[in-house]
Amino acid sequence: MSEKVGVYICHCGSNIAGVVDVEEVAKWAGENLDNVAVSRDYKFMCSSLGQELIEDDIKNEGLTRVVVAACSPHLHEKTFRRACSNGGLNPYLCQMTSIREQVSWVIEDKEAATEKAKAMISGAVRRVQLHEELQPTEVPVNPHTLIVGGGIAGIQAALELADAGYPVYLVEREPSIGGHMAQFDKTFPTLDCAACILTPKMSDVGNHPNITLMTYSEVEDISGFVGNFDVRIKKKARYVDEDTCTGCGICIEKCPKKIVDDVFEVGMGLRKAIYRPFPQAVPNFPVIDTENCTYFERGKCKACEIFCPTEAIDFEQQDTYVDVKAGNVILATGYDLFDVKRMPQYGHGRLANVFTSLEFERMCNASGPTEGKIVLRDGVTQPESVAIVHCVGSRDENYNTYCSSICCMGALKFGHLVMEKTGAEVYSCYIDMRTYHKGYEEFYNRLLEEGMHFIRGKVAEVTDAARIEEEEGKLIVQVEDTLLGIQRRVPVDMVILMAALEPRADAREVGLQFGIACSMEGWFTERHPKLDPVATMTDGIFIAGAAQGPKDIPATVAQGAAAAARVQGMVTIGTVKIEPVVATINEEKCSGCRICNTLCPFNAIEFKEEEQVSFINTALCKGCGTCVAACPAQAISGAHYSNGQILAELEGLLYDVVASNGSHAAQAEPEAVPA
Amino acid sequence: MKKYAYFPGCSLEKIALSYNQSTIESTQKVGIELEELEDWNCCGATAYFHVDELLAYTLCARNIAMAEKLNLDLVAPCSACFKNTYFTNKALKGDPDLADNINVALAEDDLHFSGSIEVRHLMEVFVEDVGFDQLKESVTHPLEGLRVAPYYGCQIVRPQKDHENVEEPQFFEGLMSAIGADPIPYALKMRCCGGSLLISSREAALNMIYNLLKNAVDSEAQVIATACPMCQINLECYQPQVNQEYGTNFHVPVVYFTQLIGLSMGLPMKAIGLGSELIAATPLAQYAT
Amino acid sequence: MARPSFSQEVGNLLYAAKGNPLNACIQCGTCSGTCPAAEFMDYTPRRLIGLILANKKEEVLASNTFWYCASCFYCTVRCPSDIDIAETMYALKRYSIWKHVHQEGLLGPTFSETFVKTILRSGRSFEPVMATSYLFSSGLKEWIQEAAMATGLMLKGRMPVLPPRIKRLDNFKRMIEKVIPLAGAS
Repeated sequence: MSEKVGVYICHCGSNIAGVVDVEEVAKWAGENLDNVAVSRDYKFMCSSLGQELIEDDIKNEGLTRVVVAACSPHLHEKTFRRACSNGGLNPYLCQMTSIREQVSWVIEDKEAATEKAKAMISGAVRRVQLHEELQPTEVPVNPHTLIVGGGIAGIQAALELADAGYPVYLVEREPSIGGHMAQFDKTFPTLDCAACILTPKMSDVGNHPNITLMTYSEVEDISGFVGNFDVRIKKKARYVDEDTCTGCGICIEKCPKKIVDDVFEVGMGLRKAIYRPFPQAVPNFPVIDTENCTYFERGKCKACEIFCPTEAIDFEQQDTYVDVKAGNVILATGYDLFDVKRMPQYGHGRLANVFTSLEFERMCNASGPTEGKIVLRDGVTQPESVAIVHCVGSRDENYNTYCSSICCMGALKFGHLVMEKTGAEVYSCYIDMRTYHKGYEEFYNRLLEEGMHFIRGKVAEVTDAARIEEEEGKLIVQVEDTLLGIQRRVPVDMVILMAALEPRADAREVGLQFGIACSMEGWFTERHPKLDPVATMTDGIFIAGAAQGPKDIPATVAQGAAAAARVQGMVTIGTVKIEPVVATINEEKCSGCRICNTLCPFNAIEFKEEEQVSFINTALCKGCGTCVAACPAQAISGAHYSNGQILAELEGLLYDVVASNGSHAAQAEPEAVPA
Repeated sequence: MKKYAYFPGCSLEKIALSYNQSTIESTQKVGIELEELEDWNCCGATAYFHVDELLAYTLCARNIAMAEKLNLDLVAPCSACFKNTYFTNKALKGDPDLADNINVALAEDDLHFSGSIEVRHLMEVFVEDVGFDQLKESVTHPLEGLRVAPYYGCQIVRPQKDHENVEEPQFFEGLMSAIGADPIPYALKMRCCGGSLLISSREAALNMIYNLLKNAVDSEAQVIATACPMCQINLECYQPQVNQEYGTNFHVPVVYFTQLIGLSMGLPMKAIGLGSELIAATPLAQYAT
Repeated sequence: MARPSFSQEVGNLLYAAKGNPLNACIQCGTCSGTCPAAEFMDYTPRRLIGLILANKKEEVLASNTFWYCASCFYCTVRCPSDIDIAETMYALKRYSIWKHVHQEGLLGPTFSETFVKTILRSGRSFEPVMATSYLFSSGLKEWIQEAAMATGLMLKGRMPVLPPRIKRLDNFKRMIEKVIPLAGAS
């Protein structure tokens, strides 16, 4: 029995119809393509009326296959599959072909575009007739969620989930949660103190019955699939027994070894060899830094052990591994700060009083190395003038082309703090002032009123080479004031570099480990930049915060909460449908060559050692067809991507040169050469 | 013994004769043989590119083609010659059509560009091919205590050739340390000497020279070392003019880095052209043999 | 075919330039902040790019900016939009020489032409000839300073007396004629 195919051509307003002659295409398909029972064009196929067209035709005309020529299946495949379902047809008997992205948006010539649309529809019509009915499978979702990264994004996500009653594993690489926000002093635009709003959340995390907090820990290995991940977490040895330690801090007090703290204090302050990064650390158990501990270096000292009232110091402690199961993962691994030494023209490291933005945050912080006093590197002199350099490593093809999005507001905040605490003159050298969220422009206006100086121009260099007397002993900021059109040399006492936000140095490795993609720069790629910002192309793996791209605290918190909401939906339903468009291996044909194992971009193919054959985990398989094409034994077939289906589609595409039976059409046949 | 084709350039014939003398003497000391191109022509300086790009490429290609005949990499001691020749070589290698056009012209002199050699700056040869270790071995009279301002100028590092550090290179300092001298840090080591602006835009050029001299002298340099005849002439010969314009009293000798290398290897002053300065290189006298 | 706009013409002249076209300029001023001669230019390099993009041909050609470029290439290596600014200055010099349009009293164009003619005649440059264009058009003070320096150099044996020439000058001249048919006439 032959199939009855319905063909639907969408105008997409004028998006498609403006270029492709849709009426002509519909008429042509109805008259020329085999087994087409209905062929229609419609203004918006995705509208409810458009969908009803399909449903009605299935019921009234007895359609057995549906082809929709419209936008990309990325956007509306689900819509039209659902319409088929509603009409009583198995949803996988529907095929979309993209005559917008692949035709009308990329071809200017109307005639050529119309011809290409015909070819594509011809291909889809041939192909869809070979489609099989498929049924999605359902798997349970483990209610636990793994959150990687304990900055404000991870903290927010963890609390949202835990407060809703769902269990969370929160894994943090550093000894304490808090992330970059814990290092900050004030937050823009309201100037509330970062610690005042962050530490209550941190202590909630530490005390929450639904949160298992693992700091000084890293995810070692992850396998499995949505709903069912197996995770191995490495807990690095702290040399402090968490069960007996009370966090009294006597060990820290008694430790004789002081070293420069390059992490939390960014080189501005000291810490002991046994330490917690900051007083409000969560958890408050200290960590021994074995590289600098006198006992680990020379086998003597043990001052911490001697003075510990609860005998919690354990020099023999080893790294341990914890295996957990989780249904979903949220990656909130944050950002790294651009290394300003890559721009020697700004003098950081060479000129003492050039500071990074993070160094300045620590300096402003009341619990920081200068107890909140804004002073030069000598520790005592207050600056009388300060220049703030925007876009250091951002918006620059030599480093990062993107805007780091937080620096303009950060610079305004610094300007306010400098003027408030020292009365110094502040010069902000910016390319474009970007203050576009709620209350931000008002904050810019406030700083204008407070008398901060603004010079529109990217700073060329910071130098100590004085030309005139007023410049002697100063840092000179050389910049074009582009609004005046002149080169200026501004002598100041202190320079603050607003360093770019960069992807974590190991972001690509982490992305690979969790099976998600990174952008060119190294930011984690979301499923859709506008409509699905916290999901990824891998089901069950979500992203939040600056790991996805530069963003400020409000946006980071919003993403943390959004990712938690997405996970809650999955956990509440309790099961997840697995797309049946997957590949399967015929074990009898499989030679065990393992070529497919390494090619699979989703790590979905495993090797069964006992049987010496490969096996596809259908929950991980995305049906991309790479293995199908690569298998030398033709042992793998892809549902929805069988050889027959693909060849039929190709023949359809080449309808004008290939006859309906698959042989070459007469005009393409080479002339027979007489013997 | 390593061998290179040598393109001294117009300045080294007379006005920068000491650079030529010290180059030949100091390279011999470290086992380098330079074979001078037998009929080299001017690289065109900056003016050629002002007037006609194709002409500029042709001029440089002629010198490259002569080095190709010798099958030797081409070394230029002048930064402007180096920059023009290096980028011509790169442009022609990357654009076969352009090379074809220029080969039509080169055929008039029985020459052909095929892209078979590299173009190097003399300092590169000392830094990369000889290396600091071998250089140190050849030093017999280290210039201990001599505070040298290593002046890079422009075209030895800019425009960027590959991924080298164009903001804060250290190879000149390394070279000076290798011969026992004390390279001083100063901010303007990469700044322009004014180049040919001295002729066309004197006011701007004198200002640039003034800034450089002031920075080097403020940083307590006893001598400025250069790797380019244009830099040497601008910084040395125009000190009286700068002093007149800016009411200063600069009197700092400006020498070629090869003269310092030669000195550290015990070569006599005269052999490396010391004595032909307009500002006597007095601080060097104590190191002379 | 429509006549190309001035900004398109300048873009076309940047045949050998690396990096992005002038349209990529974000007017940040890094070039002008970096330029050692910016304070002597009537327009900073950034403004000149703005004027080119606005097709302000007369203003651009009448400006001294590109004749004050010393070819130090600092702007090029620092430009955050990866525009070869120094090469743009070269292109404008060529354009201005071709069109014989430049600011009154500028020495740059005359100097460049004299220099090139010298080399086309002999294959090598010769400082005293190069200086003639300058000597005739500068002030007395500069003339005296320059003469004093020349004497100093002469005494040290650093001033050439006879113009140098290459050996295969005939071949050389024919080679030049292949590239620029009229060049040999000079």
